[in-house]
Amino acid sequence: MSATAGALREVQLALHEHLLGRASEIPGELRNQLLDDRRFPIEHRLQIYHDAYRSRLLEALQDSFEKSWAYLGDAAFAAAAAGFIDDHPPRHRNLRWYGDQFTGWLRAQYPTDLEVSELALLDWRLRGAFDGVDAVPITAAAMSCLSATNWTTAGCRFVRTLDIAPVRFNSVAIWHALERGETPPATEPLLEPSWVLIWRKGWQPHFRTLGADEQCALSDLQAGASFAAVCESMGARFSDQQSATMVATWLRTWLDDELIEELTGLCPE
Amino acid sequence: MQMTTRTLTRRSPGFGLGLRPVHYPDFLSAPQRVDWLEIISENFMVPGGKPIDRLDAIRSRYPVAMHGVSLSIGATDGLDVHYLAELKALADRVQPLWISDHLCWTGVQGRNTHDLLPLPYTEEALRLVTRHIGQVQDVLKRRLVLENVSTYLSYRSSEMSEWAFLREVCERADCLLLLDVNNIHVSSVNHGFDATQFMYGLPRDRVQQIHLAGHSDYADYLIDTHDHPIAAPVWDLYRVACDLFGPVATMIERDDHIPPLEELLVELDQARTLAAAVFRGAARAA
Repeated sequence: MSATAGALREVQLALHEHLLGRASEIPGELRNQLLDDRRFPIEHRLQIYHDAYRSRLLEALQDSFEKSWAYLGDAAFAAAAAGFIDDHPPRHRNLRWYGDQFTGWLRAQYPTDLEVSELALLDWRLRGAFDGVDAVPITAAAMSCLSATNWTTAGCRFVRTLDIAPVRFNSVAIWHALERGETPPATEPLLEPSWVLIWRKGWQPHFRTLGADEQCALSDLQAGASFAAVCESMGARFSDQQSATMVATWLRTWLDDELIEELTGLCPE
Repeated sequence: MQMTTRTLTRRSPGFGLGLRPVHYPDFLSAPQRVDWLEIISENFMVPGGKPIDRLDAIRSRYPVAMHGVSLSIGATDGLDVHYLAELKALADRVQPLWISDHLCWTGVQGRNTHDLLPLPYTEEALRLVTRHIGQVQDVLKRRLVLENVSTYLSYRSSEMSEWAFLREVCERADCLLLLDVNNIHVSSVNHGFDATQFMYGLPRDRVQQIHLAGHSDYADYLIDTHDHPIAAPVWDLYRVACDLFGPVATMIERDDHIPPLEELLVELDQARTLAAAVFRGAARAA
C-alpha cells in the first residue's frame, strides 16, 4: 500500500474521523471542506453517512449473532453493538468478518452474565462452520486400511470446519430453547467444565456437547497423535480394552458425523 | 436515437436481477425470465460451504456479473492487494460477464466504513483513481466497470462536475461505466443538478451496464435505499438512457423489503417494454 499526501488525503482523513467518531459537532477543518448549497444542512448530510455506517454494522452483527440478539433482546443488543462499533471500526474489507472480536467484547461487558458471551461464541463459530473450507469426508469403508500393523502409527485429519469451544454455563440449553422459540432456561453454571464440538455436515453446521475424554482424544488427534497414542494416554483412567472400545466407538460416531477427512500415518503393508 | 459503435463494451446479455439468497430456490427450481444475474462479490469471498455451492449451481444456469462494494478505488491508503487477490480468485471461478465496483472510497488508515463515500472531483483524485484502476485491470486482466454512487455531500475543492469526472476516469483509465440511473436521480435532487445533462455528459461507448432501483423520499432529500419499486422519475431517466446509449445490460437492484421474485420479474418486464418502445421509435425515426 502506498499512502498519498495532499488535499485528497486530508479530506478523507477528516471525513473518516468524523463518521467513525462519537462527536456530533462538525470540526472546522471538515466543515471548510464541504459545500453548503443550503438545500439541506451539512449536519444532516453528514448524519446520513453517520447513520448508514452504524446501521450497516448493526445489521452485520445481528446477522452473525442471531441467538445472542434473541437472548439479549433488540434494545440490549443494539446498545451492546453500538458500544462495540464505537470501539471497533471495521478493519476487514468484507463485512462477513466484522464481529470477530464481539465475543471477547461481550465477555468484558457482561462479566457476571457469561452465558451471553458463550452464546456469541457459539453463534460466531457456527457461522464459521457454515462457510468454512469444504471437505470430502471419508466413509466407514476407508477404515478397512486400518490393521493391527498400522494401528500404532495411524491417526486422522479432521475436516477443517471442526472446532472445539469451551463452555462453563448451560449455554447449549439456552441456544436450543431460542432455536425452538421458547423462553430460555435460567442461567446455570455447569457442574464441571465442558466443551462443544462444532462442525459442518453436508451444508449444515452442527454442534454437540463433548465429554472430557472425547475432547482430549479429539485435541490429541488434531495435534497429530496416533489412535494408539490416544489409547495409551487414556491408560491412567481406563483399561487397555476399555480405551480401545471407547476410541473405536468415537471413530464410528466421527465417521457418521462426517468429521474425518483422511487417515494419516498408514504404513505400507 | 443516437447510434454508438460498441467496440469497448461487451454486447448486452439483456435484462437481469441482483441475486439475493431469498430467491435462490426460485432460480434453482425452474427457469426464470431473466437473461443474467448480478452477484455481490463479497458474499462469495468466503472459504466454502453452501454459499459457494449455490453460486456454482446458479452459475451453471445463468450468466453472472460480479458487483463488489469494497474495492475502495479512490482511497488514499492504496489498494488492498489481499482483497484484490480474493476478487481475482472468485472471478476465475465464476468466469463473470464483467466485474464492477463503485467510483468512491470506503475508508482510510486500514479501517473501512463499508459505506460508498464520494470523492472530490479534482485532478488529484483523477490521477489517483486512474492509477488504481490500472493496477486492478492488470490483476483482473479485463476492463473494470465502475458505478456512479448516490451522494449526499459535495466538496468545495471539486473542480468539475461528476459527469465530467466520470468521463475523464473512463478515458484516462480505459475502463467502463455501470450507470446507476437511480443514483443519478437521487444525487440530482440532493445537489440540485440536471440529471439529463449528467447523462448527456457521459461517454456513450463505455456504458456496460445500467442499474435501476428504488429510493426513499424525505421531501428535502432522497436516500438510495433500494427498498422500494423504481420511481417514475427514474423510469423517465431510463428512457433517456435507452435513447442515448442503445441496448445496454439492465438490471434491478433490491436490497431491503425484498418482494417475491415474480414481483421483481414484473418490474423487469416494465424495463424490457420501455426499452423496446424506445428502440422501436428510434428504428422508425431512422
